[in-house]
Amino acid sequence: MAGDDLLVPVDDSVTLRKTVAYVAERAADADGRPTLHFVYPVSERIDTSEEGAEATAAVELLDRIEVWVEEDLGEDADSVGVETAVVGQTEYLFNPGDYADVLADYARRHGVETVVLDPEYNPLGMAPLLPPLEGELEAAGLTVELAPVERPTRRSPLTRTAGLGQFVVLFCSTYAFYLLVSGTLSTFDLATGAITAGVVSALLWRITTRGEVELSKLGGRLARFALYVPFLLWEIVKANLDIAYVVLHPRLPIDPRVVEFDAAVWSALPATTLANSITLTPGTLTVDVTQRHFTVHSLTAGARDDLLDGALERAVRFVFYGRRAARIASPAERGARTDDETEGENE
Amino acid sequence: MTPREIAVLALVAGGAFFAFVAAVGLLRLPDVYTRTHGASKSDTLGAGLALAAVAITFGFDLSSVKAALLVLFMFITNPTAAHAIARAAEDQGIEPWTTDEGDSE
Repeated sequence: MAGDDLLVPVDDSVTLRKTVAYVAERAADADGRPTLHFVYPVSERIDTSEEGAEATAAVELLDRIEVWVEEDLGEDADSVGVETAVVGQTEYLFNPGDYADVLADYARRHGVETVVLDPEYNPLGMAPLLPPLEGELEAAGLTVELAPVERPTRRSPLTRTAGLGQFVVLFCSTYAFYLLVSGTLSTFDLATGAITAGVVSALLWRITTRGEVELSKLGGRLARFALYVPFLLWEIVKANLDIAYVVLHPRLPIDPRVVEFDAAVWSALPATTLANSITLTPGTLTVDVTQRHFTVHSLTAGARDDLLDGALERAVRFVFYGRRAARIASPAERGARTDDETEGENE
Repeated sequence: MTPREIAVLALVAGGAFFAFVAAVGLLRLPDVYTRTHGASKSDTLGAGLALAAVAITFGFDLSSVKAALLVLFMFITNPTAAHAIARAAEDQGIEPWTTDEGDSE
């Protein structure tokens, strides 16, 4: 019965296992002998001469899925057909439309009418693929379903519970900013400002403001932040002069390296402040931050030493946690290391 | 020249200098990461100095407040953009250029 056949595009996602379990169960319950098609669309074009890394990963993943399905079906294994395929090798897949074309083509050739999507299926990385992909597949005449599996909460939700207070705070600050920039208090500006602020706060009040603010702590932080800004500006100017010297020097004496270290800051806002400060200070550029782990690209040995001496980090800790926290050991003392040292150990 | 004019001149000159450094850096540095250094940081300071000159020229005026706000926003958005570029480069697997590139490794 072709109607029960399912097409499942797969990629290495956190909910993949559950999605496989769901379709396996569904196929086992169906009448006849439905076939499950697991397809892996590869995004990079693979030339016949060499197997790309992605293709290897795809085949491994598909093999794993076959094992999972067998596991899930148990005795029903005979009543369900499983087919796996790597598709899209001959073209580059860039956008949801490309993925939909490849999948629809596969579905047509195998007579599948229903596509089950893993809710975390997102081979494109950052951009959300799922909603447009759903639309494109439906336009191609397929039935699309999302696998009803629970997603693990990897990140805190974008919207938070917020009360009237947050709305008022956001509305007032937006309104004040609007009036400040317009520079007049004419009726027109008052009216348009109120409308603009209203729209902005209505849309964003659950996103921009977070939770209760402890006023007592906030005051201290703001005061210390006011001290931090001149320090940061001074650091920026000093380091900028260094960079100007290096860049204008005829021999271009640079020595770029990637440094990794675990910063001694413990929550989102301090980490963001530190990352941005590192990037602002010339000679160092935050490449990636995962929790507390900073990956920093540094242009010169001097900039690197400054970074690992931890003056900035200490200052950020001072702003957010007060004076005592400023006296933690510097990244260098805690064993941060640069790329070349790591390489040296591997050799 | 009044002290204020001197201050404005100095700031504009400084701003132009760092903008120049940013441009030279963009041309001379070897790879995407180092160029991001050159383009984002010196530029931030250059534009910051120029805007400071604007603020001083206008004195205590609404325009100065706006210039100060612009500086603030630039200091927040520029590192963010630089970070985005560097991270995108890293995601694409671009290896940072190093000085021991030509060595016998």
